[in-house]
Amino acid sequence: MATYRSPDNPGSYRLGLQLAPIVVVSALVFLVPVFLDNDFLLNKLARYVVFGILAMSLSLSWGYAGILNLGQAMSFGLGSYALAMALKLKTVPIQTGSSGLPDFMAWNNVVTLPWFWVPFHSLGFALFAGVAIPAAVAAALGWFMFRGRVTGVYVAIITLATMVVINLVIIDQQRYTGGFNGLTDLAQLEVFGISFDAYGRSTYYLVACCLTATLLIAFAFTKSRAGLIIQAIRDHESRVRYFGYDVAVYQIFAFALSAAIAGLAGMLYTIVMEFASPTFLGVQLSLSVVVWCAVGGRQSLVGAFLGAVLVAGMQGALSESAAFLETWTLVMGGLFILVVIFLPKGIAGLAQTIRARVSQREDIHAVASEPLESTGGGYERLS
Amino acid sequence: MDQFVQQIVTGLSIGSILLLVALGLSIIYGSMGIINLAHGEFVMLGAYAAWTFQHYFGLGLLESLVPIFLVVAICGWLIERYVLSFLNNRPLDTILATWGVGIILQQAVRLLVGGELRYVQLPASLSDSTELLGVQVSVYRIFLFFAALTLFALTWLLMNRTMVGMKLRAIIQDRSIAACFGVNARRIYALTFAYGAGLAGLAGALVSPLKSVSPEMGTGYVVDAFMVVVLGGVQSLAGTVFSSFILGELSGGIAFLENDTVAKTIVLLAIVVLIRFRPEGLFTTRVRA
Amino acid sequence: MSAYLELRDVSVSFNGFRAVNDLNMSVQKGELRCLIGPNGAGKTTALDLICGKTKRTSGSIVLNGTALDLLEEHQIARAGVGRKFQVPSVFKELSVSENLKVAQNRHTGVWSNLRWGIGKSDVESIDRLADLIGLRDELAKPAAYLSHGQTQWLEIGMLLAQGADLILMDEPTAGMTAQETRKTADLFLHLKGKHTLIVVEHDMGFVKAIGDLISVMHLGRVLAEGTAAEIEVHPDVKRAYLGSGGITNA
Repeated sequence: MATYRSPDNPGSYRLGLQLAPIVVVSALVFLVPVFLDNDFLLNKLARYVVFGILAMSLSLSWGYAGILNLGQAMSFGLGSYALAMALKLKTVPIQTGSSGLPDFMAWNNVVTLPWFWVPFHSLGFALFAGVAIPAAVAAALGWFMFRGRVTGVYVAIITLATMVVINLVIIDQQRYTGGFNGLTDLAQLEVFGISFDAYGRSTYYLVACCLTATLLIAFAFTKSRAGLIIQAIRDHESRVRYFGYDVAVYQIFAFALSAAIAGLAGMLYTIVMEFASPTFLGVQLSLSVVVWCAVGGRQSLVGAFLGAVLVAGMQGALSESAAFLETWTLVMGGLFILVVIFLPKGIAGLAQTIRARVSQREDIHAVASEPLESTGGGYERLS
Repeated sequence: MDQFVQQIVTGLSIGSILLLVALGLSIIYGSMGIINLAHGEFVMLGAYAAWTFQHYFGLGLLESLVPIFLVVAICGWLIERYVLSFLNNRPLDTILATWGVGIILQQAVRLLVGGELRYVQLPASLSDSTELLGVQVSVYRIFLFFAALTLFALTWLLMNRTMVGMKLRAIIQDRSIAACFGVNARRIYALTFAYGAGLAGLAGALVSPLKSVSPEMGTGYVVDAFMVVVLGGVQSLAGTVFSSFILGELSGGIAFLENDTVAKTIVLLAIVVLIRFRPEGLFTTRVRA
Repeated sequence: MSAYLELRDVSVSFNGFRAVNDLNMSVQKGELRCLIGPNGAGKTTALDLICGKTKRTSGSIVLNGTALDLLEEHQIARAGVGRKFQVPSVFKELSVSENLKVAQNRHTGVWSNLRWGIGKSDVESIDRLADLIGLRDELAKPAAYLSHGQTQWLEIGMLLAQGADLILMDEPTAGMTAQETRKTADLFLHLKGKHTLIVVEHDMGFVKAIGDLISVMHLGRVLAEGTAAEIEVHPDVKRAYLGSGGITNA
């Protein structure tokens, strides 16, 4: 079927307008190294951009599909560990010298490499797994929840509980996972001859490319028919069923897509931070993602991204002084509450709300100046 | 045999602490449907109140229980009035808002009092240990057990035998109809939340001599409390009692057999499965059509 | 000859209360059946049972040879059943045209919907629908800003877009003006034949204008069935519902 632009969606103009924020933000991110020559600051900025991708992934699940994932950090952490495991194995000859085991395993008297580590000898597998494993876990969890028609608040609880379980297991099984300390002393990522030093430009540009790619993928999804249906599901889940759609399948898809993007962000984070830690799967981070998303605007991909960069950035800037940090956290808590109560669509939604209020006022003026028609009862057409 | 009895006693002790902490949450979640992530912070506030009364006013723990209840209840009332009342019918946003409140409370305490560990003295009259069924038990823990059951009985009476309780039950059933009959839902909700917060504060005060008091102590309690409430059935007070002790025995037993991590993991997974297959909890008899 | 839609001995009970009690009803293809009766008779529950919102405790519901009572809601919808709810249920945050697009979409799987834009003929039919339901100028407006009557019309429009063979309407004229009610009657008469309709209603004038057969429900089962004239004089119906004033006074 030929694609046709309907009257309320005058094609390229409208689409261009919606793509503009993505293009602008991407361009800005790419241009920063031109003006900023400080490797240390670039690394910090790369960190915030990664957080932005993570927040954007949550907005896909929460803002568009209505699924509040309080354990989004789980997908992030799984992706991060996937790459870290491969990079750890790359250092094996240097760090241990005995039977090719990572140092912490040797210290814990582990004799053979556990089965789930073995595939990570291949970097290609790890890169695939960093996205595929979070997606698969999410799909499984999603199947468990959504097939059972678990919704809203209970989904939030289950996702949080699942993440806590995985966090606990990782910390507990420290002989195989590095436990509390995580995976440190990693080799540098080398792909196609490019070496990604955490403080180098190649890493920064890698992060920027991934940002653009994920923004476009997420945007494409939200604009597709499936994206429209998932928003209808968010709006009124049960009603959608009566139009013939299997709601659970859509929810699982959105949930898994969100997890895949978070997993990719996790892998980037490993490169940027040069280690992987159980805190990447922690309650603290997971709830921070929710805050970023709420502040920036959960129904806006770019909004969520900016929310993360803004909040994490401010926190980073203030973390120089401990006293500032404590007060900042307090203020942040207060701001968060205000945003939740008064700005459910975040800062991005503020513009939208203003526009809507203005047009509503225009409608009211229009009605007031129209002569009363005989269609009675105050149900005038607001045109 | 001794081991076994020791296990039972430990389980009862853990259970009574769980009940104390979960009771307030059960009221709030069961009657208002509010998932209060700041519940742990109310517990923490109660503990700090106990410490403050002891440290600055020389009041013993038992004497300060009533003022502690009032202090934390007032906090709860303020939070309901100025934050939660804006979020009717927005359950997800309520979770987020209460989480924000929890952060603020934690940070405020940290800034005001400092993050170091504080200690509350056991009441002198209860600081012995005695023998029960051949096992050494601290008298204070026995006191906690009875305190938990007393508070439960008190709460039950309030819910089911007073005008306020009846009005609350009316609102839970159908808010607008209750309003048509002159029930001021706003005020009842505020009172209920305050009561739940006060209970949490009491729990914090009562539990404070057992461990140290710190701004972060609340977080652990919140997860445990939710497990109890979800297991016991969201609108069942009696269910809360049963599940507290079941979970108390379970976690005591598992922690003894395996380790703490396995215990927590198993309980969390059990909760997940329970939510999925029986969200109304184990002990609720009425099933919505 | 077995009917197009056959409900046989259908019962459902909520905590001991039998909302529907051995309900038996047969509807022919292309018919316009009206379902009337006092409040609590089980009319809405009957519709809920057909579209899958409520699961029956016993009995069978068969549509054109397919057993509906074994299917899930979305499968029942795909089998050709469309439902309009008593409280207008549309997607409030989506625009009017987006609401119609969701309803109109023939592909229901996720992968087949990873696609952008809709075909020209679909767009034209949405425009035509919008004209029919009087919302042509509101296509871009979020459904939350529509009035109650407009929301009713939007939902009707969505049902038309869905193109269901069996259309279940629950009090479609609630809150409508006399003019809008007449328009609805015309619409239903137009739909009859190509589609099969079951309409739950209280507005007796409306029922008289559109219905071939009327089924009167009382206490969860069918009390009487017949044309408007037959129902009016039926002693049981008069006692339970219409009173002595006849249909127009109900």
